[in-house]
Amino acid sequence: MPQSAASDSALYRIDARNETVVLAFTGDWGRATRLPTSDRLVERVRVQCGDGSTPVVLDGSGLDNAHPRVAALVYAVTQHLKSHSIPVEVRAMPETVHALVDLARPPAASGAQAGRMPWLQWLGRAGRNRMAAGASTAELVGNAFASTPKLAVGKAQVRWVDFMAMIRETGASSLPVVTIVNLLIGAVLGFVGAVQLSAFGAGLYLADLVGIAVAREMAAIMTAFIMAGRVGATFAAHLATMQANEEIDALRMIGVSPFEFLVLPRLTALTLMMPLLFLYAAALGIGGGMIVADMVLNTSPASFLGRLQDAVAARHFVIGFIKAVCFGVLIALASCYLGMRAGRNAAEVGRAATRTVVVSIIGIIVIDAIFALCTNALGV
Amino acid sequence: MARFDATRPPERGIVVRDLTLAYGSAVVQQSLSFHVAPASIFVIMGVSGCGKSTLLRHMIDLERAERGDISFDGQRLWTTDAAERAALQRRIGVLFQSTALWSSMTVGENVGLPLQLHTRLSTAEIRDQVAFKLALVGLAGQESRMPSELSGGMQKRAGLARAIALDPDYLFLDEPSAGLDPITSQRLDSLIMNLRDALQLSVIAVTHELPSIFTIADDSIYLDNESRRAIAHGDPRALAADAEHARVRAFLNRQSVDASTRAEGDGPESPARSEVL
Repeated sequence: MPQSAASDSALYRIDARNETVVLAFTGDWGRATRLPTSDRLVERVRVQCGDGSTPVVLDGSGLDNAHPRVAALVYAVTQHLKSHSIPVEVRAMPETVHALVDLARPPAASGAQAGRMPWLQWLGRAGRNRMAAGASTAELVGNAFASTPKLAVGKAQVRWVDFMAMIRETGASSLPVVTIVNLLIGAVLGFVGAVQLSAFGAGLYLADLVGIAVAREMAAIMTAFIMAGRVGATFAAHLATMQANEEIDALRMIGVSPFEFLVLPRLTALTLMMPLLFLYAAALGIGGGMIVADMVLNTSPASFLGRLQDAVAARHFVIGFIKAVCFGVLIALASCYLGMRAGRNAAEVGRAATRTVVVSIIGIIVIDAIFALCTNALGV
Repeated sequence: MARFDATRPPERGIVVRDLTLAYGSAVVQQSLSFHVAPASIFVIMGVSGCGKSTLLRHMIDLERAERGDISFDGQRLWTTDAAERAALQRRIGVLFQSTALWSSMTVGENVGLPLQLHTRLSTAEIRDQVAFKLALVGLAGQESRMPSELSGGMQKRAGLARAIALDPDYLFLDEPSAGLDPITSQRLDSLIMNLRDALQLSVIAVTHELPSIFTIADDSIYLDNESRRAIAHGDPRALAADAEHARVRAFLNRQSVDASTRAEGDGPESPARSEVL
């Protein structure tokens, strides 16, 4: 009679009789919400077996129906017991269960899972992989230096329509988000500076604070963060997808250098656009500070700009400009490297995009710190 | 052509009645009526672009037909409520053409996920079921491997193990042999037939691989991409010899339509000039 078993006790019975252990499967396995596990059945059967030579009979005469779940347990229990050299006999099992168990093939001896790798071997492999990754990075940077002159003289394997699309993607398409972020960053700096400086009557110096902070640090860094998230992730995901679809292999097969065709346009576009975006971002950041100075301190735009001209030397813009170029190169190389080294599946595409953003942000901070140390040492 | 009588009372298996498939105003196939018997293998065949995979996507409720009806054991697919449809979907297993294994999960996790989502079995209970399903398709002990580490044939078998994870009553296969070498393809065909016998499955396979069609099919339908209708229905071995339409004979005998027409005499429609294969 069909029954809904809340526990697995209605689904099997173990008896020891006539020097055999009988594991009888009973009830309706299809409707059961809990099933016995093979580990548990084997453990209980082995307790009954004693010295291990007692044969085990798997009896299916008490089953209400022949659900495939029974076959899964018959198969698993049989495999377990045979591995312990316990004789097993299957008796009165429905034909469907027999057919399924016969169809299942145990793992081949050679197909066994490899054991844990010895730690020395693991260490060696990890070191070799790191060295290979370092060599790939060096190759990418070397290629960048070697191929850029070819692009300059028009001998690189680049589709100019792709290059112009990259220029638009990295430049014009990024303007809205660069505008919003840098205008607000300049305004926030202006507010914080205005409150602090006006406390001791130095509100006039707000132009110094906003100008130097924006030109030297914030415009380049904030723009680089935006580009890492917006453009770097897109580049990495696109290249990883091409890798998964074997498009990059197809390029190699027709004699096209994937570096020149895919990396060079992205690298050049980002390297050219980043400093231009920096100048735009710096102007907006200073504009944000100027609006706040007018609103909070009643400093007119003319006074603000006059003070800015006196206080912010051109070298601050030059430092920000050079940083922007470095950030552009970093984001382009990181995104292309991680995209082209991605594995050939969907998960790797997302992973490449995420890694690009993380690596780029860390790299931007590291480069900025190096610049701070160097400019401090040089007194600029 | 043996026609299915749509006026008969509901019967076991899958019944397709007067189905019209369309994307917008473009009709893919029209007036499709056929019956898939329980525990049989039914092959949907036809040349590339005739709408085989589209028909399969409608039968597994991924698309809604323009007209017509599909019922499983008398239960109508598109008129039942959401809960009944969900219950019906759990009785359907699908092997997609690209296998569609989730690349971020191991093979074991791929097969175990339907059990996790649709049963109350514990992790240990699911582990037994997954191990058995993988053993059924010849992948015993491969639970911890990632799909990307498997060959094409192994991926197909892993996809098949996932498709039968919930012990479905109906198994849909979209181009199961596509991209496989003849030996692997033949093994997969044997596996499909064994699963039909052991699990008493109704298998619906979309394919244009002739060796597979002749090996596995108990019954078949030929979708014509010119008339946009099913122009043959029956055992493909019999259709290869005496199908009413020249295009069906040409397809099943790997001939051009002209050659088929010359060999067997004219079919009911004027012979087309195009090569079928």
